[in-house]
Order: sequence, then C-alpha cells, then structure tokens
Amino acid sequence: MKPSTVRIKKTPSRFKHQVPKYKVNRSAECISCGTCAKSCPYGVHERVEGRNRMSVPIDYKCIGFDCQNNDFCCIAKCPRKALSLSLNPMYETLGDYRWTADIITATWIMAETGYPPERKDLEYQVGNSGGGFDKLRLNFPTGRSKIDKFEISTEIPLNRRNDGRPNVVISTPMYGGGMSFGSVSLATMISKARNATLWNTFTCTGEGGYPDMLIPYNHHVITQVATGLFGVREETIQQVRIVEFKYAQGAKPGLGGHLLGDKNTESVARMREAVKGTSLFSPFPFHSVYSIEDHKKHIDWIKEMNPQALVSVKVSTPNDVDMVAVGSYYAGAHIIHIDGGYGGTGAAPDIAKKNIAMPIEYAIMKVHNFLKDEGVRDSMTLIASGGIRTAHDLAKAICLGADGAVVGTAELVSLECVRCGNCESGRGCARGIASTDSELSDLFEEEWATQRLTNMYHAWNVQLVEILQKFGMKSVRELVGRADLLTHIDYRKESGVCS
Amino acid sequence: MPKKYHIHTKTAPLNLDYVFKFRIERGENCINCGRCTKVCLYEAHKRGKGDPRKMADPNTVVCRNCFRCIQECPRGALEKSLDRDFLNIGGSYWKPDMFITLWKQAEDGKVPVTGAGYRGPFTGLGFDSMWTDMSEIVRPTRDGIHGREYISTSVELGRKLNHLSFGENGQLLSKIHDTVDVPVPIIFDIPEDNLSPNVKVALVRAAAELNTCIVLPAADITADIEKYIKHIIPFMSHEDIDKHHGLIRQARIAAFEFTDALLGDFSAVKDKVRKVSRALTMIRVPATKSLESTVAKLAAGGAEIIHIVADYRGMEMNGAANADRRLLKDIIRAVHRRLVEDCIRDEVTIIASGGIAMAEHVPKAMICGADLTAVDLALLIAIGARLYEEPEKILVFPDGLEKVPVRTVKQRIVNLMGAWHSQLLEVMGAMGIREARRLRGETGRAIFFDEIDQDTFGKLFNIRETKSL
Repeated sequence: MKPSTVRIKKTPSRFKHQVPKYKVNRSAECISCGTCAKSCPYGVHERVEGRNRMSVPIDYKCIGFDCQNNDFCCIAKCPRKALSLSLNPMYETLGDYRWTADIITATWIMAETGYPPERKDLEYQVGNSGGGFDKLRLNFPTGRSKIDKFEISTEIPLNRRNDGRPNVVISTPMYGGGMSFGSVSLATMISKARNATLWNTFTCTGEGGYPDMLIPYNHHVITQVATGLFGVREETIQQVRIVEFKYAQGAKPGLGGHLLGDKNTESVARMREAVKGTSLFSPFPFHSVYSIEDHKKHIDWIKEMNPQALVSVKVSTPNDVDMVAVGSYYAGAHIIHIDGGYGGTGAAPDIAKKNIAMPIEYAIMKVHNFLKDEGVRDSMTLIASGGIRTAHDLAKAICLGADGAVVGTAELVSLECVRCGNCESGRGCARGIASTDSELSDLFEEEWATQRLTNMYHAWNVQLVEILQKFGMKSVRELVGRADLLTHIDYRKESGVCS
Repeated sequence: MPKKYHIHTKTAPLNLDYVFKFRIERGENCINCGRCTKVCLYEAHKRGKGDPRKMADPNTVVCRNCFRCIQECPRGALEKSLDRDFLNIGGSYWKPDMFITLWKQAEDGKVPVTGAGYRGPFTGLGFDSMWTDMSEIVRPTRDGIHGREYISTSVELGRKLNHLSFGENGQLLSKIHDTVDVPVPIIFDIPEDNLSPNVKVALVRAAAELNTCIVLPAADITADIEKYIKHIIPFMSHEDIDKHHGLIRQARIAAFEFTDALLGDFSAVKDKVRKVSRALTMIRVPATKSLESTVAKLAAGGAEIIHIVADYRGMEMNGAANADRRLLKDIIRAVHRRLVEDCIRDEVTIIASGGIAMAEHVPKAMICGADLTAVDLALLIAIGARLYEEPEKILVFPDGLEKVPVRTVKQRIVNLMGAWHSQLLEVMGAMGIREARRLRGETGRAIFFDEIDQDTFGKLFNIRETKSL
C-alpha cells in the first residue's frame, strides 16, 4: 500500500474557538464603519446586521504580523487607525518548553487539514527545550533533488530475524503508543486502532486489557504484557500479530504503571479484574525476570502461545540500555522499543519524569551503535519513543539510528489535547480524551477522531517524504543511522562549516 | 527486619489562595449564558451569589488550564494569561512552579503525580544537568514505594573506621566511634532570623517527629524547646563551649562555626567537648573556592561531621561574579573526590546544604558525594512563605502565620518531608538501591549531561562551541 492513497478530509476543531496567537485590539477611535469586516478574508471582524457596533475581533482567525504585507490588512485599511495587533497573552498559557504553543497549534492544523501549516509564523520543526532534537538540524544538500516524490517508500519491515515468523511491514515508520483502557477512553483507543488500520501500521493496548470493541482491528493491534499483567489473557495474546513486553516506561523508569483510584471506574476495574476505585500501581520490575535468561523464558512463553506473533520489548533508557537491547536480541525479540526519559504518560510522579533515565536522543545512538558492533543490528528493529513530537523529530531519530518511532502525545494532541496534564486523577481529561467518565468520554465521535489522526499521520508522512526527497533517498530505510546528515547547533565539524 | 520508617502525613491546608498561576478575565461581551459553568470541571466559573443572572468573577485559583471555557464560550469573552505576580515569585533558581509543587506537597504529603510527559528544559544548571540511572533486566532491580521490599533511607553521622584491627586472640582492638543515626538523609538547617515563635517551635517539633535534627544557634534554644534537645544541634563558636555546657551535655551533636583556629587544632576543641559529653562535633564550613582543601585538612585533623554550606541558590560563597561560582553539585563532587584521593572519605560525614529545593536534590547531592543534606528555605516555603531573588533575597510570610496553630505548621513541614521521603524511595527503587548509604558517591549510577552529550554528539560533531544553555 502506498501511504499517498490514504484519504484525508478537512476535519475542523470540535470547539467554537481556538487558542489565539495574536490579539487584535480595537480602540475607542473605532467608528464601526465596517471597513475591516469587508476587507479581512479570514473573518476576524464581524459587523452583524442590525447592530450598530462592531463585534469583538475573533483573534484566533488572525494570521498575525505577516498580514501587514497584504493590501487587505485591516490595520492599514482602518480609516481611524483604530486597530492594532499584538501577541496574545493567552498564548503563553499554552504549551511548555518541549511542546511549545507553536508545535501544538501546528499539530492541530495538521490534524485538521492533513498537511503541515501554510502559515509561516509557527515554529513547529523544533521545540524550545534547548537540547536534544531541539538543537539538531537536518543538513540538506543544495541543489534540486532528482528523486520523484512518488517513488519514495516510507515502509519498514518489523521482522528482520528471518525466523519463519511473518514479515510484518508497516507503511509509515511509526505506530501508536500504548495507552491502556482506563488511562484513555474507549473512543480514543478505537480511533487509534482504526487509524492504524487505515495506515497499515499498529496501535497498542497498553496495560489495561483488550476491549472487545478492538477485535475488528486485531490485525493492527499490539497487545502489551506489562508488570501488573492487567487484562492479559491467552486469547488476547493469540489474536494479535505483535505482543509487547513492557519492562518500563520512559516517563516513570523503574516504576510500574500508575492508575489512580478516581480513574479506576467500573468498566475499567472489570477489564483489569480489579476492585473499582482502588489505585492500581503495577509492580516494578517483572518479578519473574531478573536476568536475560529469565527474559528469554518470557519471550519463549509468548512465542509458544502464538507461533505467528512478533515480540517487541519495550524498555526505558538506563545507562546500560545498550546491553538490554543486545540481551533482547539474544532472547529472541524482534523489536527493541526504547522509551526515553522525556516520554508521555497518563500519570507519573513528576520526580521520575524529569530526573530518571536518559533522554531518547542519547539512547538511540547508544543502542544503534552497540547492536552494530555486536553484528546484530540488521536482525533487530529499533523503535524509539519518548519525545518524538514532530515529523522532524522522527527524521532525526531515524538519522540517529532508529528504524522508526512510536508516537503517543502527538496522537492525543491531534485529538485536541492541550497538554494541561490533568489526566491522572479526578474525572480525568477535561477534553474527553483520557477519561472513562461517562460524560467526558462522550465528547467526541470516533469518526472525527479517526480522521484527525489519519490527517496528522498524513501530514507527518508528507514531511518525511519531503525530507527523503531533499536527501535524494528512495526509501526511509536509507536514512537509518545517517547521523552524518545532522548538525548540532552547539557543535561544529572540524572540517567545513555548518549552520 | 527493622520496623519500617514511616512518616505520618495528614492534610494540612493553609489559605494560600492569593497566589495563582492562571488569570482568567471575563470580557464585557459576556452574555451570562453560563456555558463556562457547564464545561468547567474545576468550578472556576459560577453564577453571581447576589445576582444569579450575572456570572461571578472567575475563581482562577482552581484553574487547571484545560482551555474548555476559553474555547467553548460562544462570544469568545474569556481571556486567560499567566499571572504576573505569580511569575515574579522566586527567580532564576527558585522557579515559580516550584512554589506551587512545594505548597501542594506540604498540604497533602503526597508524591506529586501528574499526567503528560516532562515539560521543562532538556537540561539546566547544577542538579538539572544530571539524571539518575535506573535498573532494567540486566541489573538487580527493586520494587519501589508500592512494593513489599524494605528500602532503608537511614544514614549515620560521625566517623567510621577504614578497617578493623584484631588482636592475637581475635579480640577487637579498634575502638568503634559513636555515630548518630537519622532515618532520612535530611536534617534541618538554621532557619531564618525573626521567625514567629509558633514557626520556630513547629520546626523543632517536626524535626523531633521525623526523628532527625535541626541546627539552631545555641542562644536561640529557649527553655520551651530545650526538651527536644536530642533533636537539636546547638550551633556556637568554639570559644563559647564553656558557656553552653548544659546544652552540650544533653545534645547528641554540637555544631561549631568554622574558623581558621579549627584548622590548626581541632583536637583541642574535641577534647573540650569530650570533657562535658559524648556529643559528636560538626563543623559548619561555608562553601568557598578553597573548600576542598579546608575540608581535607579538617578531616585529617579529626573532624567528625563537616557541613558544607552554599548560598540559598546552591552557589559558592566567594562574592565574585556569578559566572565563576561553582554550584552545589560540583562543590560536593570536588570535596568527595578530594577525600577519596586522601583515603579518608569514610572517616568524615559530609552534609551538603544551600539550594536544596526539591526532593530530587537529596538523592542527587548524595550521588555527587554527600552523606546527607540539610534543608532550610524549602521548609519555610512549606508553611506558605514566598521568596523573591531579585533585586535581593526577600522572604515574605503569609499574613496571620503567627496565629496558625503549631500543629498545623508542624504538620505541613512533616508533610513536605513525607513527600520527599516517598520520592527518595521512588528514585532509589528505580536505581535498584536498597540502602541510602549506598547512594553516596555512586556517580556511576548517574548520567551527567556534559559527559553524555560529549559522548554522543561530541564524537559526531567534534568541537563544542556552547558550554551550556
């Protein structure tokens, strides 16, 4: 399947207003003549019939300072010079160092349109964290590329062991992060699965059981076996193509999963065979695994139960993550999925998110190089996650040595998550994404959510293809490990000058 | 197995509603439709008490920044911004968000847990430029705070022997030194001057309840708190030992101000103390440029406990421009390394303080080489104090604090330490370390930004141009 055949469709926000970057100020000089309403093509100004005053400007529709180059710009057109433009203080309350307001806004636009924003005023390729991906740049060659976009393949194989198990191939080098039923709503899970099916890739159940509603999408679902073993049953292992062991999670390395009591609602508790309302803290580690030999026994157990399944091992990023990766190869895993310290979560102690284990940027290179030195790199699929926010992050992760990535937060932002971080307790997500509260989880339709996800994946794929084209590559597989195509703004190469 | 150390936390609210992060304002074009009331989960929007036809001013203290009201208001009449008063709190080290989390921990005593991934900068200065390691598959792992395994956070203060000597018949020849055990690697440092009496008593009682110690100037140890003397470390000039015989006799540790005289002849001071009691001695040394050699000399001269004190932002105190002042992380590492080189590391206990502001600073300071830490300002922030770094350090206490009952003030301090203790367990559990004493100097179980960035990108790109952010 060619990714370009995926159908995109304009899917606007489910809310009346969006978060404005700019503020259009109307002073007392305004005589309500309506000139601005006539000239602005974006609908910032309204002169409602029958009213004698202009409506308050609709800030979020304004395209910003760049508009002043246009003939129709309201500021120049106003006969009384009553209009002015400034940055909206509200914009500062959106986003943070890693997910800046610009990245969130741009992701919303991608989910709406299926393409990266046309606006030039959004810095969506890098965040503001001052390190890692945010300091790396893709260093494109000059001159026109000879590659036709339609020749470029973004598919990657997930089974490289040549062990007689199926050659599972995904059409775009990314899949959906593990989010359990309970941490997110059923609608969120199903939309993710439907999108994964459309894109011929995967989504993951996380550690919270396998809702029956996901069965139609079995072919594109990874089911997780995590330390709490919540919802793991023989049939769930047998009905999927990939089973993932979750040893640890980047946002809380060394700690088990957290589902606080408020979110353990009746349906969640039933699925997890737990008592409603109790906080569920998964243990750490797997108490059946204290060595690579034990780890192999675990993998053998899954392979025995499902002779067709691939096995993925999800770990976070300690100093010796490279050893863990090689160990996983020898234990028989197909995919090593490393989740960096700055990864997403539905609930994790703040101290763990910030302080434990290394960011993914370092871990990718460490693991890639070590697998290469051991001579097994070509037999393993290396998947990175934990801070892959944009298509550019994805490309950089691949340059550093990953085959592909898992995205979680970007999917939720597509569904209009604002990253307020209140998903851990109470009724859960105020925006209905990460909640099983009967009222809140009803805030959007699966149809809408699936299309938003499909659009976002499309926008990322478009950008990835563009990047590959600029590098003159026909397949994303050529990009793997090409750290030489990157530059770091804090460093300079000994010979030659760059950015 | 020893009885599990447990800190009894209990909700202890204080009215701190005057500080909030998000300011929501209702524009004049509000049509009082009440949509915001329906969509807000946190009850920020309510109808007017006096006149229910009108909406009341938003209660922004409860705002959790979900944007529902902003996006669903039919008129776009609501505006939100970061509160300027909030942004002005603290400064470059004590960041505004720290106050919110410290207040919350002091209120409920719980580990702060939130949704969504880390939101801060990639790396920073001092302790922010290191990550603690974790254990996975190929290393022994431990169940943390929610597991059944017992993780000990206790540490000993005092000298330890490098080795034991035995006589011909196998009898022990070495004299084992006295030590003082504290169940958490945290003591309370000398609090600010001019605290209201209830706060001072609460600090002492909290230290006693936690079974740790508080350093107090000997002159401040009034009759009402003297009964807690086992948990008080009287601090004095070594010249005043004779004046404070009473205190030294009862205390377990006595602290002395560092002077050059102590460098030359510490044993004379120790002898003077020994005449009165078996109390251990502690020397409080300001962190200056020459700190490591001072500490090494003191340790060689028989010092038992050395407390190194950086300024309130964890910086060296040498009065020079900020640029060449070392940060606590590097100060501790230098001291630890020097003592290891001199082969006397175990013979002295190192306490680090100055800028210990968050729970993570405790294990990080220990990994860098401290045996334990001392906290000061964080305890006052727990009881509602606000700190301003610019133009100069100012501490502002909440109005009416002096009237808050001692037990509430004490409970908030206990709660904060309870939350920190739990977070220490989380970090140790993740590292697979079961004894806090084993954290000391375990730099191999940490990831330092400078090293790993050099290892990863330095190898690729060769020349580093920017030293830090």
